[in-house]
Parts: sequence; C-alpha cells; structure tokens
Amino acid sequence: MKTAEHFKVIIIGGGPAGIGAAVGLSKRGINSILILERNDELGGIPSFYKKKKGGIRTFIRWSRGGVPVFGEDYAKWLESQISKRNIEYRLQSQVLEIEPKEKKVTFVNPAEGKNRLTADVIIMACGSREETTAERGFMMGSRPMRVFFTKQLLQLIDKHSLLPMRNPVIIGSDLIAYAAAAKLRKAGAEEAIIVDKGRKPKCSIFERLYFRRWSKPVYHGLNSLESVTVVGSGAVTGIKFSNGEFIKWDGVAIGGELIPNSELALVGNLKVELPSRKPVVGPDYQLSEPGWFVAGNILGGFHGAEWCYFNGNKVSKKVIKYLSKNSSSN
Amino acid sequence: MDTVGRLMYNWPGAEFNASLQIPGNSQLSEKLYDIVIVGAGVVGCALAYKLSMYKLKVLLLDKNFDVGEATSKGNSAIIHTGFDAPVGSLESQLVTKASRQWPELAEKLKIPVENCGALLIAVNDEQNKQLDVIYEKALKNGVDDVRLISGAEALKNEPNISKDVIRALSIPRESISDPFGTSVAYTEVAMANGTDILFGVEIKDILNADKEIKTLVSADEYQINTRIIVNVAGLGSRKLADLYDGEAFEINPRRGQFLIFDKFSRSSIKRILLPIPTAQTKGVLVIPTIFGNLIAGPTAEDFTNGDAEVTDTTLEKLHLLFEGASKLFPKLVDNPVIGTFSGVRCNCTQGSYLIHSNDGHDGILTVTGIRSTGFTSSPALAEYLIEELQEKCGLFLENNPDASDSRSENSWPGWWNRPYDNGDLVKENSEYGRIICYCEQISQGEILDHLTSPLRPLTLDAIKRRTRAQMGRCQGFDCQIKIAEIISDHFGIPINKVTKHGPMTEITASPLSDAVEN
Repeated sequence: MKTAEHFKVIIIGGGPAGIGAAVGLSKRGINSILILERNDELGGIPSFYKKKKGGIRTFIRWSRGGVPVFGEDYAKWLESQISKRNIEYRLQSQVLEIEPKEKKVTFVNPAEGKNRLTADVIIMACGSREETTAERGFMMGSRPMRVFFTKQLLQLIDKHSLLPMRNPVIIGSDLIAYAAAAKLRKAGAEEAIIVDKGRKPKCSIFERLYFRRWSKPVYHGLNSLESVTVVGSGAVTGIKFSNGEFIKWDGVAIGGELIPNSELALVGNLKVELPSRKPVVGPDYQLSEPGWFVAGNILGGFHGAEWCYFNGNKVSKKVIKYLSKNSSSN
Repeated sequence: MDTVGRLMYNWPGAEFNASLQIPGNSQLSEKLYDIVIVGAGVVGCALAYKLSMYKLKVLLLDKNFDVGEATSKGNSAIIHTGFDAPVGSLESQLVTKASRQWPELAEKLKIPVENCGALLIAVNDEQNKQLDVIYEKALKNGVDDVRLISGAEALKNEPNISKDVIRALSIPRESISDPFGTSVAYTEVAMANGTDILFGVEIKDILNADKEIKTLVSADEYQINTRIIVNVAGLGSRKLADLYDGEAFEINPRRGQFLIFDKFSRSSIKRILLPIPTAQTKGVLVIPTIFGNLIAGPTAEDFTNGDAEVTDTTLEKLHLLFEGASKLFPKLVDNPVIGTFSGVRCNCTQGSYLIHSNDGHDGILTVTGIRSTGFTSSPALAEYLIEELQEKCGLFLENNPDASDSRSENSWPGWWNRPYDNGDLVKENSEYGRIICYCEQISQGEILDHLTSPLRPLTLDAIKRRTRAQMGRCQGFDCQIKIAEIISDHFGIPINKVTKHGPMTEITASPLSDAVEN
C-alpha cells in the first residue's frame, strides 16, 4: 500500500489566515508546508471583492495606517507572498475528514481524487460563513428567490455584472452589512434599509462614516421579541415587521454575523462549543488534541482580512514552539 | 408509441435554448392519451409508475417545473406502519399494506430506506394510560410487531431521551426514506417505460368533459386530448374539479413547520421519537432524516385555500416546536438549527383519502385529501386507483412486456454514495473530484450527471432535491451561485435567467446599468 505523503505542517484553508501562517512558518525556516484550498484560487474572501464596477475599497489594510484597498488586490498580494517563497498549495482541494490522533487529513480534488496526508502539525484556517436566516432566529416567512448572502452579492455584482436587487433590505448591521449597502448602491440599487436586533447598528460610527461616501442606508432596529417576515412566493416582494408594517422591496441581503467553519473539528471530535460553533482553544491557539492549531476567523467573531493574516503569523510562532518541543526523530 | 417518454417544458427561458421548449401545440394536441394525470406529487408520480407497466399512453403534467414541488417536498419522509391510523379506514388499509411493500419497492427504485424504528414515549400517568389504548389500536390495525417497553428499557435503547419516561411503545418497522428522490425515481421509471412528462402547464379549461375524448386546455392555450383524467392536483385539486363540476369538497391547507438540526445531532438518537397525541394535536416529533440530520415538527395550522402565507415559518410556532421537541429529547437545545421549513398538507374538510370515480363525468377520477401518509401509502394507493379506473372508468389494461418496474442500474446511484470513494471514477472524470457543495460534499460531476439525466432538473431547488447540494448547514452560502453557473453553462442560458423554482424566481431581473461606472 502506498504510504501517505508527510508534511511538517498542513494548513487547511488558503485565505488570509492560512497564508499568514504559511508565510510565518516559511520565514522561520519550515520548508515542508502544504496549503489545501477548496476554492479555485488562493486569497479567501478578499478575492471575491473585485476591482471593477460596484467594487469598493474595503477595510482590508486600514487597520495599520494603510489605505483601504480592493480585496482582489490584497488577495493578489497574499498569493505573491506564497509564490515568492515557493510554498506548496493545492487548489480545489476539499478536506473531507480528519483523524486527530493520527494527524491525518483526507481530501479530494480533481487531479488526485481522494487522498490522505499526514503532518506533524495541522493548522485549521477554515474561515467562517454568514449566519443563515434560520440561525439568525428572527427571520421568518417563506423562502423566495433573491435572499442572498453578501458573499453571493459579491459573486453576482463583481463576477457576473448583475444587479441582484433594486431595493435592498439588509439583515444584519455589522461592517459587512454596511459594506453591502455601499456595494449595492454603487452597482445601481436604491438606498438600502438595514434591519437588525438592537437600537443601534453593530457597525461602529467610524466605519459607517467611511461608507457614507457611497450610501446612507436607513437603520431599522428591532427589539428582542420582534421578527421580520420575508414575503413573496416567487421572488421577494417585501418584508413585514411584527407590528404589521409592510415594506415593498425586491431583495434581501443577509450580511455578516459570522459563524466559524468548525465542522471538520466537530466531526473529528475536537472540542467545539455548541451552538456557537467556536472551537475550544488554549492560549497557544491549540485545539483539544496536541498538534492541531487554529487561525483566523474560525476562532469566532468578526475580523478583517489583515487581522487574520497577522493572526496566522502569530499562530506560526506558536507552531514553531510546539515543533521544537515535540520534534520527531524524522 | 414512443418507447421512452418525452420530457416537455413550457419554459420561459426557451428563447435561449430550444430544447427547453414544448414541441409545437399541434404536436401536443395530435397525440391522444389514454390517461392524463394532473399533479406530479408523490401520488401522481406513483400512479404514473404503476400505470407504466401497461400498454397505455400516459401523460403526467404539473404546473411546476419539477416533480414533488408542492406538498410532497415538505414531507417528513417517515414510512409509517399505520399503527395509529383510524381503524378500518381506507387510509389505514393502504398505509398498512404499503408499509409492507416498501422494502421491495425501495430496492427496485434504488432509493435509500433506513429502518430506524420509533418510540412512542409516555412521561406522565395520563400518558401512560393512553399508551395502552394506542397499543390496542396498533394491534387492530394489524401492526402486530409493536411492543410495550419499560422506561428503563426505553432509556437503554435511547439514552438521550427525557429521563421522565415511564413507559414506551416500540414500533420497530417505522422507517425513513428520501422524500424528494422517491417522486423522481417513480417518474424516471415511468419515463423509461414510455410515460410523457409535461412541466410548467396549468390547466385552465376542460373541453368535452362529457365526451369520450376530453381536451385539457392550459393557460397558454395548449390542448391535450385524453380519454381519462386523474385529478391528483393536491392543493389545486378543488380548482381543477371546478372545471368538470366534480363533487363538493373543500381543501383547507394544513401547515406543518419543521426545524432542521445539523448532522452531528443525528448520532444522539437512533429512532423516531413520538409524543403521546392529545385530542388537539399529534404533538412534536423528533425525526432522524435519511440524509443524516434531525428534524423536529410538525405544527398543525389550518388555512383557507389560496392563502399566500401558507408556506411561511413563524417565530411563535418555531419556539413551540423547540419546546415540544426538548421535552422528548432535552439535549436538543445544544444542537444548532441549520434551517426551517414548512410543508402544507392537503387537508380536506370532507375527510382523508377522498376518491370519486366518474366525478362529474365519465372517465374523470378525483383523488384528494391525501395527507402526510400519502408518501407511505403511494404504492398501495396507486394500485387502488388503477383498480378503480379498471372497474369504474372502463380502463382496459394490457401488460406491457417491455416495461421494467426497476430503475436502471446505470442511473447514478445517488447522493448516499460519494463518487470520489471510487478512485477510478475520478480518474475517468475529474469532475467527480471537484466539490461544489462543501457542506454535503457534492461534486460537479454529480450535478452534471443529473443535468443530463432523463428527468433533468432545471432549477436550483430541483438540483438541491436531487443532489443535496445547497441543503447543508451553510444553506447555499458557498455553492448556490456556483450551481447557477453550472446550470447557465450547461443549458446556454444567461445566469440571471436561472431560477429557484421556475418563472418569477429568476436570480435577478437586472443587469448592471451601464451608467454605473467605477
């Protein structure tokens, strides 16, 4: 039987956090690294923000005194970091299962089919996704067309040059929701209505000010008992509030409220908090099984791309420390 | 007579792809069908399947663009034993009969069935007394393999159920299956045996209803000639019956809302958990699904026919479901809900399983009031309907020696097999290694297989029900647009014309305006 290929470190996810970790490890002298990325390209979520019609510079580089850049540009920069250092990566590679004790990863891609690899350390940089309507718990009604996640808005506007809706309602009020409002406005939609629980939007005032260059969405806060009902048997025709107020609108975007992609950890019996899906992590970013690390938005909460990159970098230091303590004889 | 049935669409996107268009009206009206089945729900599909064993020209038509697109898609997919059905009713007879036919049927149709069993749980003295009544009823219904077990034994079998359990009724033959794949499987076999399928056509008029040859007229003026009409239009059965002056009945849609839990919840229970029903309600069930999730539900809320809000989910009821389900299975609160849905039962005021032969006129069969048990009963009900047609509507049956009652081996074995587990398949076709739906791990190859299958899905929802792609925890976050891209490439239609479930559900109406510049 063919023995499984072995790497010093396998990184699941080629977004900002995974790349940050890979670069950090490479700088510190680790050569045997493999990134498994399920998308067609490296770069993660930033790669979906294209530099074109409806494209806006997001916050990706703002945190450290830099200027906001287009996601696509940041993704290209990330990719250049990988190619510069000759770090190995495999695209369209979906990890199917993990075996924590054996430090084994099973994945599939078109070129190799199903394959198994082992490593001394595995870093899960699987990112996050947006909460579904059911997970939000206050979105009711039917399931018509034109209820999109903001990631899907990016695909429709930036990739396919389509305007997903003319009068958007955005559910969720964090930075992603305000960015979506700006994006839709710039792509030709009318001002959005932003709906969320709470008297004030979750997006900070400074961030909201930034987006005012493109859009001035109206915020509609709900109290803890209120719900919104999506109306429409075909496509969305409007939304209804608990007080019976009906707004005729033609699309709903559900934005932000990120949920960690921790399912691999869960099915591999690594400790994960439920129902939040946050992996249980020690101070050194290690999971419940030694040698398994996490980086980036899989940790939970909302972090921008640059934060994730630096977090990946930080985790790489912890990995080096772990490797020096547990250096295997091979 | 064609050896293989045709699939015809009245597809609004046909301007981009002629294969999505109905053949000319003259072609449709030239053909004389022996039977037209109106309504491609699970009952209509089962009837088409059973009728396809005979030398008959049959057309199965629906106003939607897929089979099982209305009531059938919201079914909990339990294969009932009929232990608690009203004793002596037609429903009880058909359900009990069908439940014994299912294992063989599933093998022939190549659909997955899991014999998980069920536990009816009593948690107080009142319920404990009820349990004896239900036990007697089960025996009367001929379900003689049920067994009363102690609370301790129930807990041994299902350690995660409520510790309050006093006693339980074990119903070992209750099973679960695929609510979507069943209608598809029935129809695929029927098509292979020569049955024609027509989607996107709503019947607006019936000409010559009193004559031997009747003409169904669609909203778009298509004319279809037939000797016999079978009305299995479910929620639409009243409207259709009005066109031929059928006997009086009323449809009161009864909504059932459900919560769907993520897959890792499934390992905590093995069986279907049933509460003791009260006079008002059957209560909230916790049901493992064949796909590996858990669902909790249903509610029972009555509506008037045609009510637009009938497929909504509501906050208040979902809370009640959560509460009800936690009584049987307290650990449920730790489990994340990934989705909610509501199904609408075809509830008829005049009773369940209402069947009128020669309704209004000779050669018209009305079948309505088929509630959630219709999924289970479908094979036996179809046989019963064929007997009715034979005895009362003068249908002459001659076996078709070329017909097969099984789904062909070469049709893709289904979502429960992963193609990449077979290394040779990926080598032959690398698309089987390209995962599109991350949550359910469905490959591009599987989606393309379905798009080229005889009963090809055209909509995002139809692909979801065939492959499970978009049905996982992220609810299409990662894959929905990619699947739209695949449909768009495959049929050569613009991506914004791809629909969720037919016209009016296009992804978007508007391209970006040229005036908007970066």
